[in-house]
Amino acid sequence: MNQIGHNVSARAARRRMPTTLDAALDRRSFLSDVVTGLAGVGLANLLAPSGLMADTTGSRANSTGKAKRVLQIFCPGAASHLDLWEHKTELEKWHGKPLPGEEGYVSFQGKNGNLMKSPFPFVTRGQSGKKISSMLPHMAAHVDDIAFVHSMHSKTNTHGPGCVFMNTGHASEGFPSAGAWMSHALGAENENLPAYVAIADIRGEPPNGKANWSNGFLPAKHQGIMMSAHKAIRGITPKGINRDEDQKTRDFLARLNRRHAERHPGNDDLQARIAAYELSGRMQASAPEVSDLGMESASVRSFYGLEDRNPLKAAYAKNCLLARRLLERGVRYVNLYCGSRASGVDGLLNWDAHRTLKSDYERHCPIFDQPTAALLTDLKQRGLMDDTLVLWTTEFGRMPTHQEGTTGRDHNPDGFTCWMMGAGIRGGVSYGATDAFGRRAEVNPVTVWDFYATVLKVMGFDHEALTYYHNGLDRRLTDVHGNVLSAILS
Amino acid sequence: MTACPRILALVAATLAFLGGDGCLWAIDFKASIAPILEAKCLSCHNDNTRKADLSFSSPGDLRADDGLVSAENGESLLWAVVTPKGDEGPSMPKKGEPLTKEERVVWREWIEQGAPWPAGLTLKERSLVDDSWWSLRPIRHPSVPSTASLEFEPEATHPVDHFVYRSLARQQLSPSKPASRRALIRRLSYDLRGLAPSDEEVEAFEANDDPLAYHQLVDRYLASPSYGERWGRHWLDVVRFGESRGFERNEIIRNLWPFRDYVIDSFNWDKPYDQLVREHLAGDVLSEDEPEVELGSAFLVAGPYDDVGNQDAKQAAQIRANTIDEIIRATSEAFLGVTLGCARCHDHKFDPLLQKDYYAWYATFAGVRHGTRTLATKLERAQFENARKPLVERQSAYDRERSEIEKVIASRFPALLPEAESEWIRAPIERQLTEERFSPIEAKGIRLSVLGAEHNPKARSGYRIDELEVWSDLDPDRNVALLSEGSKAFGSSRQAEDFDGAYSPNLCIDGRFGERFIATGPELTIEFGQLESISRITFSSDRTGDAIGQGIAGFVCEYRFDYLTESGEWKPLVDSFDRKPINENHQRHRLYQRSIQPAQRQALSQLAEKSAEVRRALNAVKPLRSIWLGQHDKIDGEAFHVFRGGSPERPGEEVYPTSLSTLSESNGYQLDRTASNGQRRLAMADWIVQKENPLTARVIVNRVWHYHFGRGLVATPSDFGAMGIPPSHPELLDWLASEFMDHGWSLKHVHRLILTSATYQQSSEWRANAAAVDGNNQWLWRFAPRRLSAEELRDSMLQVAGVLRRQMGGVGFKLYRYLQDNVATYIPLDEHGSETYRRAVYHHNARAATPDLLSEFDCPDSAFGAPKRASTTTPLQAMSLMNHAFTIDMAEAWASRLETMYPDDVTRRVRQAYREIYQREPSSGERQEGILFWSAVGGRAFCRALLNSNEFLYLN
Repeated sequence: MNQIGHNVSARAARRRMPTTLDAALDRRSFLSDVVTGLAGVGLANLLAPSGLMADTTGSRANSTGKAKRVLQIFCPGAASHLDLWEHKTELEKWHGKPLPGEEGYVSFQGKNGNLMKSPFPFVTRGQSGKKISSMLPHMAAHVDDIAFVHSMHSKTNTHGPGCVFMNTGHASEGFPSAGAWMSHALGAENENLPAYVAIADIRGEPPNGKANWSNGFLPAKHQGIMMSAHKAIRGITPKGINRDEDQKTRDFLARLNRRHAERHPGNDDLQARIAAYELSGRMQASAPEVSDLGMESASVRSFYGLEDRNPLKAAYAKNCLLARRLLERGVRYVNLYCGSRASGVDGLLNWDAHRTLKSDYERHCPIFDQPTAALLTDLKQRGLMDDTLVLWTTEFGRMPTHQEGTTGRDHNPDGFTCWMMGAGIRGGVSYGATDAFGRRAEVNPVTVWDFYATVLKVMGFDHEALTYYHNGLDRRLTDVHGNVLSAILS
Repeated sequence: MTACPRILALVAATLAFLGGDGCLWAIDFKASIAPILEAKCLSCHNDNTRKADLSFSSPGDLRADDGLVSAENGESLLWAVVTPKGDEGPSMPKKGEPLTKEERVVWREWIEQGAPWPAGLTLKERSLVDDSWWSLRPIRHPSVPSTASLEFEPEATHPVDHFVYRSLARQQLSPSKPASRRALIRRLSYDLRGLAPSDEEVEAFEANDDPLAYHQLVDRYLASPSYGERWGRHWLDVVRFGESRGFERNEIIRNLWPFRDYVIDSFNWDKPYDQLVREHLAGDVLSEDEPEVELGSAFLVAGPYDDVGNQDAKQAAQIRANTIDEIIRATSEAFLGVTLGCARCHDHKFDPLLQKDYYAWYATFAGVRHGTRTLATKLERAQFENARKPLVERQSAYDRERSEIEKVIASRFPALLPEAESEWIRAPIERQLTEERFSPIEAKGIRLSVLGAEHNPKARSGYRIDELEVWSDLDPDRNVALLSEGSKAFGSSRQAEDFDGAYSPNLCIDGRFGERFIATGPELTIEFGQLESISRITFSSDRTGDAIGQGIAGFVCEYRFDYLTESGEWKPLVDSFDRKPINENHQRHRLYQRSIQPAQRQALSQLAEKSAEVRRALNAVKPLRSIWLGQHDKIDGEAFHVFRGGSPERPGEEVYPTSLSTLSESNGYQLDRTASNGQRRLAMADWIVQKENPLTARVIVNRVWHYHFGRGLVATPSDFGAMGIPPSHPELLDWLASEFMDHGWSLKHVHRLILTSATYQQSSEWRANAAAVDGNNQWLWRFAPRRLSAEELRDSMLQVAGVLRRQMGGVGFKLYRYLQDNVATYIPLDEHGSETYRRAVYHHNARAATPDLLSEFDCPDSAFGAPKRASTTTPLQAMSLMNHAFTIDMAEAWASRLETMYPDDVTRRVRQAYREIYQREPSSGERQEGILFWSAVGGRAFCRALLNSNEFLYLN
């Protein structure tokens, strides 16, 4: 396994080396890292498309980006790093013993019990020898192409704000999601389809719903358009009106609007609205084609798992296939969800395994594993992976301990895993790590802002230069933070 | 790494050297070094941000790490980072200009001298602007400029025009000719009432050549109740009014609508604005016994907050800080146009607002909590208590009687136990697997009737089952109950309407464990695909044993199985009565049933009836109004502190409820620790509405201007700071602000001033030469056309269809289905019933509800205050407005109304349609085209096209 980036951050170091002198020395070594790293940032500044700071209207194509589009798979509910992606030998050894230094720790839902090893064995996979959970046998085929980031940490331990933070760089609602920023920065590739599509799970929307694909304060055209295999774009066809009447009405309307625009020169909005009606007409015509999974061959359908006996898996598989069809047709950013909101029973509808982790993940993993792996393979086979960046994200991690009185794990914002693969990404690497038990990001801690600074870099942008004025500030996807994770870039 | 003793010694020596006071400063630190640090280093390296763990606010870090100043190899890091390297330029400062040559010279000298620092001096990053910034300077009543020398036609007679024309002349622009009467009345009607003028109003106005006709129209519209509905909605945007809690749970708030009505009424009554502000911030303490004043303070809690109930103490503290932060931002932006929220983690980078100011406001709002409070006069409260008291007393008397009888029943339990126990021969039920065996029977299905649930022997619902198998007698490994065998399960279950499979009875027969049927009724029925011979049933609530001891797998305890015969009869199969009870509670319940005597049963049932009667009487007492006003904690001399870096875990210096430091020179205030919650907010409110406060009046008159013209004199209405846009007409702004305050803070006075100007009444016609100079129309050479807002659009569609209901106030209508399954979900409705045919301001304004037409057309989501609405153009709008059933319903209603008006005359229908929606006659060509289309395609199609047309959507 190619473990990169062994520098322990100043923060983690201070926890272990509390004396002033040690801290001072460590700070110095950290500072020199920063200094040597800065030249790159300066260069990126020069290379970034100029004038974006002032751009509040149009969009522009990037020339320097390695990826043209993004697929972001999101497993809401805080999918456990310790039971899926990050193997911890010490956790197995210390199973049943208290977590040193944090005995009886009170986290989101209450008190914690002792350390609990994963109920699932981890298996060595790929050339890189990466160990991932045995619950993900299909995903095993991709580990050599994935850059795991094991040292993610969040600033909130609550699902809603956590999901919104992971999608927008801000824990409160009202900010644009990464997809909206991309739509703003890059515009649409296919003018018959939206630039940004959000595919919610058949079980419902993720925590905080539409705020996760909101345009925030960016113009409304940048919002994620919801569509899925089980639900067409809202309002795509008029109910009770036949095609003939509809077409004639559109034609009549176009005549009215053109005449009106001629009488009112100088109002660009009028032209824009005429164009918007034309685009909606084209979307009305082309969306059914994109969603028609029946056009796929039987082998593709079974490869994804469309006909699986488990209806939830079949539904997610359909959405995976839809995602590919959207990316293939030039949709800029696809948000694909596996799991939905918090429900009357924790962990029922998403990855929030508070009480019965084993049976919860025995339900969720099979839904996720085959269809996702099939989608990634399909993207590779069609050459789409060459200019598509794939992200796998969740809002935070889970505790290495079990929640008192249960066999589940509580929320843990201090350490979790996300990953990237595809265009611009170095595969088969694991960046950063949590501590021996998986409690906290320790080696090279990574923030959501660092994650997106890296995403923007791959898309050809300097995250500090992509800004939009709102309520007193030039806002960024990365707030006022963010460092590019150069080590995972190819 | 090992600690080098030599470095230690060096540090000690350096410290000793610097400790003396008698040093001669070869370099003037304050004049040469401090400005460099302040301008180029401190934005990242300050006590709060501490990038790279370094602060240059004080010399501490320089002393702690000698490598910064002098390193072993002679190269100081402080020097290295500012020195250009090859072509790359210096690595510091990361943002902004590198040090100049001259600066580098003194910098080097300073380092060589060991980086001395005057004792006790702390540096601060300077904000971009100081208190000489335009919006912080006092408002002076400017005199109206003369425009006599200008050759504009007509000449300016109105004060507003004098200001505007002078600026136009400076840009070599000229105003436009007056708008047509029809354009003007349409503009004014939408502007003040949010609705189109009626056909009759248009005709009357056009025919009236009294020079005062327009003024009378302004007065009439300002007096119309629709004015409050329109302008109240503007204000609700500013104060981020939302009727759900936001964040993950986003539970609906059903009792905040009275605040919406309060706002509408306040605008209609022209409540003095200073009074409105005071009521918003401190209505609860302004006056005693005046609920209508108290209602204003719902402003404090009209924003979103996180109520997830975090058990993690650190996170809970952060969430509480976020809640107060939301109130601070809303208040500072709405009333003062300052972005105080930017001073949460550090001093404001651009405006002269200190972190200390932010936390002074924190101390002001620290007692505010979201929630419900009773709103009533003292008299109402007394009447309420008097009505309830005798009923409550009767209720407790009945309760005492009942418990006496139950005691007697229980006294016989010990005597009854032995016999009962002899009948309980089978093992108790088990969550992991409970089995029933019986002689083979032929059945088409089975039914489980639950007589008592594990969690409560009296409850017949709320139990959970993860799987139930029915085994074939002929093939003992075949579970005939499976879905895949063609079986079906029925039983009422908990509902998650956005995903109906979540708790459904099918989960009992899907062959998988872990997901549970959650029953809301006593029965679970399974019908087989065919007649089966069966002899065994197994069922469980926790087959895998993952949920031992947890309520999530609460099972059944008393039950009976019946089976369905081939002829369609239900016959008893087995029951649980001979099983041992699972615990003491269940045992008592069984004994109770054995012990109770008919007379006791009768007495208890009579008591229950009487109790129910009292409960009904209690419910009939008219309840006091319970409103989302927030709850106010007492503050008992508690100390509040700056949170360094914004973190509640890092308290800094103590703060007190204080006015903003930059505006405190003449009329500031500072309270001490003992000030009450109410005093704190009242002091703030009084300070905000002092006439000397330069921001308050400027900000509100600018908002009024913004809504009239689509763009404020200050184009960033909630940011009058350095990141905002400076005023285009500063003197006009001050003149309006002064007039406003001199006329009792009357908003209607400001409306009249603006609306009677020629600037407002001018045409919107585009002129290429003027547009070339001023494409944005910031100098007001024409009236800027605008798109209707979402509310204007929906209201007008209802109006033109003839179905708009004018009922004012009260509980709002909903354009979504509200679901709550732990968290709330809002599902936009596909059809809008007639109960929704009210003005959109009465929509129940839940956050994240995104009802099609409203959110598509830029209704803000109220996560923040929305001082300025976007006016976007998107294909989704086209889809919503073309295809939503609402449009089709309105098109049908409108067409059928026109058909009823003119049963045999398509020509007149077309003409009437144009008059109603565009406030004009169709041209003859338009009429011909309309007649043809109506006749060939139909009235609905004709109306649907007009409702989507730009001429309807845009105002000139």
